[in-house]
Parts: sequence; C-alpha cells; structure tokens
Amino acid sequence: MVKLLWENIFKSDQDESGPTAALRSCPIFSALTHRELKFVSKVIHARTYRPGEAIFTQNEVGLGMYMLVKGTINISIEEFKEDEPPKLVFITRLDPGDFFGEISLVENNGRRTATAIAADEVLVYGFFKPDLNDIAERNPLIGYKIVSKLSEVLGRRLQETARKVALLKKEVLNPTNKI
Amino acid sequence: MLNSQALKRDRYIKMLAFLGILIFFGWVILKVENMLVSTLLASVLAYLMGPLVNAIERTGLKRHLAIVTSFVIVGFFLALGITFAAPLISGQLSNFQSDLPKYVEGSARIIRDIESKINSYIVIGDQFDLSSHAQQMIIAVTKSIFEDLPAIISKSVTTILLAPFFTYFLLRDGQSFVRKLLRIVPNSIFELTLSLHHEINDQMGQFVRARLFEALIVGIIVWIGLFALGFPYASVLASFAALANLIPYIGPIIGGVPAVGIAMINGNSSTEILIVILIYGLAQLIDIVFIIPLVVAKIVNLHPITVLVVIIIGAQLMGVTGMLISIPVASALKVTLYSVYQHLTDFRTT
Repeated sequence: MVKLLWENIFKSDQDESGPTAALRSCPIFSALTHRELKFVSKVIHARTYRPGEAIFTQNEVGLGMYMLVKGTINISIEEFKEDEPPKLVFITRLDPGDFFGEISLVENNGRRTATAIAADEVLVYGFFKPDLNDIAERNPLIGYKIVSKLSEVLGRRLQETARKVALLKKEVLNPTNKI
Repeated sequence: MLNSQALKRDRYIKMLAFLGILIFFGWVILKVENMLVSTLLASVLAYLMGPLVNAIERTGLKRHLAIVTSFVIVGFFLALGITFAAPLISGQLSNFQSDLPKYVEGSARIIRDIESKINSYIVIGDQFDLSSHAQQMIIAVTKSIFEDLPAIISKSVTTILLAPFFTYFLLRDGQSFVRKLLRIVPNSIFELTLSLHHEINDQMGQFVRARLFEALIVGIIVWIGLFALGFPYASVLASFAALANLIPYIGPIIGGVPAVGIAMINGNSSTEILIVILIYGLAQLIDIVFIIPLVVAKIVNLHPITVLVVIIIGAQLMGVTGMLISIPVASALKVTLYSVYQHLTDFRTT
C-alpha cells in the first residue's frame, strides 16, 4: 500500500523524458516542438496493466487514445453466432511505438469497436478528449497542431478502409476474381 | 497470464487507496476549523478566475505568471470596488442599525393591524396574539444579526486570508494533483473517473459563474431602481437582493421583503410601494427572460421542496453560513450524482 501511494502520488515526475519521447514517436504529436511536447507530457496519463488485464473493451464508451510504450497488446473483436456466447476473435498484436483508440478523440460518446488486452506487463500513455480540450483552451496553437495531425491520421485510415471495402465489394460481386 | 484473482485483489487495493484519500481530504475539510468555507470560497474563486487565467495563458505567458497576473487584475478591481462601495454600504448599515428600533416598532404595528383584521373576522374561539410573538422574534433576529456580525467578520478574516492562497494552488496545481490521484484509480474505471471529473468540473464552473453573474445583474438592476427612486439604503438592499438571489425560488422573495417592509413602515404611499415591488419584479423579469435562458439554462436546477429542505438542514447544521452554502453544496451533490448515474448507465455496456 505504502509503495503504491509513494509511486503514484508522492513521487515527483522526475523522468519527464519518458512521456516526451513517447509523444515524439507518435505521428499525432510529430508537429510539436520540444517545448510543446513538454507541455503535452504534463497532461497525459501513464497507466500500467498486468497480463490479461483489459485496457478497454468493445462497446464501452471511449474517451481517448493510448500510446504503447512497453509490452504487447492483443486487439480482438467479439464475434456473435446464433445460440452461442460471444467469442473473442484475435485481430492484431500491438508492439511498443504503436498507438490506438485515436478515433475516440473526435467522437462524441463513441463506443470502442474492439477489445484491447495486455499480453504481458504493459505501460501505455493515455491522451484523452478532456485533455485535448484543456490544451486547446490554454494553448490553441498546440491544440491546432494535434488536431491537424489527428485529421491526417484519421483521413489516411479512412482511405485505407475505403480501399479495403472496395476490394471486398469486388470480391463479393465477382467471386471468381481472386484478390 | 495473471489469474483474475490477483487482478481483482490489485483492483480492490487501488480502489481502497483512492477512496481512502478522498475520505481523508473530506474529513480534513470538514473537521479543521475554517477549512470548509475557505475551500468552498477558494473553489468559487478558482472557477471564476479560471477562464481569465486561461485567456492570459493563451497570450504565451507561463501558467503561474498568468495566475499572478489574474490576481493583480482581480485585486485591482476589487480594491477599486471596495474603495467606492465600502464607505457607502457601511454608512448605510450604521444608519440602518440606528433606525432599527423604528423599524421593529413599525413592523410590529403592521402585524398588529393584520392581527386585528383577522380577529375581527373570527368571532368564536381563541383570538390571535401574533404581534407580541412577532415583535420578540424580529428583535431577536435583528439583534443577533448585528451582534453576530463582528464575530462572523473576524472569523471571516482567516477564511478571507486562506482562500486566495488556496485559489492560487488550485489554479496552478489542481490539474496535476487530480492527475496524480487518478494514477491509483483502478484501470477498469479509469476512463470513467476521468470523464466524470471533467464533467463535474465543467458543470460546477458553469453553475458558479452563471449564478454569480445572475446575482450581480439582479443587484445592479435593483440598485439603479432604488437609487433613482431616492429610496434609503439602496446599496445595502441591492447587495442583499443580489445575495438572496443565490437561493433559488424563495431567494428573490426574501430579497424584496426588506425594501417593501421599509417602504410600508416609512409610510410611503401605495404607489411608491408598488414602484418598489415593480423594481424587484423587473429585476426578476429580466433575470427570467434574458439571463436564465442565456446563461443558467444548462444548469441542473433544484426542486423548490429540495431547496427548502436543504436550507433548513444547512441552517440546523451551520447557522447563517450553512444557509448560504447549502444551495451550492446541494447543487454540487446533485450534479455529481446526476453525472455518476449517467456515466454508470452509459459508459459501460457490460
């Protein structure tokens, strides 16, 4: 208990290079200067997860994104079949440097579309919608830079999804043509 | 993979630590003398100054400098206001205190008139003896206000000195303290707690700013009206109307009673009394038609019965201070419970 309190509340943030480095490696914060990264590093949240612990689960309201710093995370979705309990289907594995859940930063009470579970001891930095609003109110330039890069990332993902949908449509309409 | 038992244990320890810290701070605020009022006043000041601090920070100034600048600006206007208003209000207050016997006698006379009218209608049974009880009550209440006032003011000095100090740290370190506290929140409810904190903070900020803005506008309208009419104690009555307006539903009525009473005791004509009532009515009309829809509408309102019960509880627990802070505290509780309920039903689907 004492260790928990010491590590979480009373110990000062001596190692600010951790969050700053994590932010720098994330494309959403790539337009920020060192000073601006330091500003953002003061509002993000470090979270640790034990193996098997959920970072978030499908269908719950999402508040923001996570940057994976240490460990691996499995992304799965629930598959529903008639007369069977829902089953988790593995989609992908995330490694340090990956980020996920960023669509929640622009959605209003949007729900998570997948479940993220820690595969081993995990350290993530969370960046959430209220933090983004706070930054935009106190330093609009930083807010603009983040939102601008966020739009780029979301636009790219949308393009990618549209391309995949087009390919799938083609496959469904023309089953003989293998992709 | 760690078994779910260990995860559950971890979660319980974190939850206990989190709740323990919250309970500890709650206990300190309630038990240490002057802490509750200082904390509440500091929170009100922080909510009021927050937008100004953010606006100054947007110019590129560091947060602590933005806070200091805000204090200088607010302090300047406060000093200006005190320089002009304090002699006026204190003069009017001492005049009122010396005229008090006249008003006590006058109000007893009015009650006696009402009493005799009621008694003339009642032929059988007990006759009313309202006036002697009322006179005793009025003397006791007004005496206690003036006798308690110095004690309240001297007690307030500590509060007034502590509050800006707390406000500075709330504005500077409030967010980072919350962030540190959130570290021990179990992972399963972390996003929910973070969202809840921001929701309550936003709602409370809006509530405090809107209610004070509303009170200020009502006070200004009443002051202009009474001043134009050449009515005595205009500044004191306007300040009282503004303060009373903080109490929903019954506040505006309480705010208007002294002015109407003074007009009746002074033997003003019924037209003048009607004008005084119209001034208070106009202030309320402007409040209802313009201010409430524009500023206050978003805020969760309390039911009239809740207001009455809450004020009675406040008065029972902490006297005059309890009455004044009961409504903001009840509103804060309502916002908190409302947000918690909404989040619990909406956030998690499983």
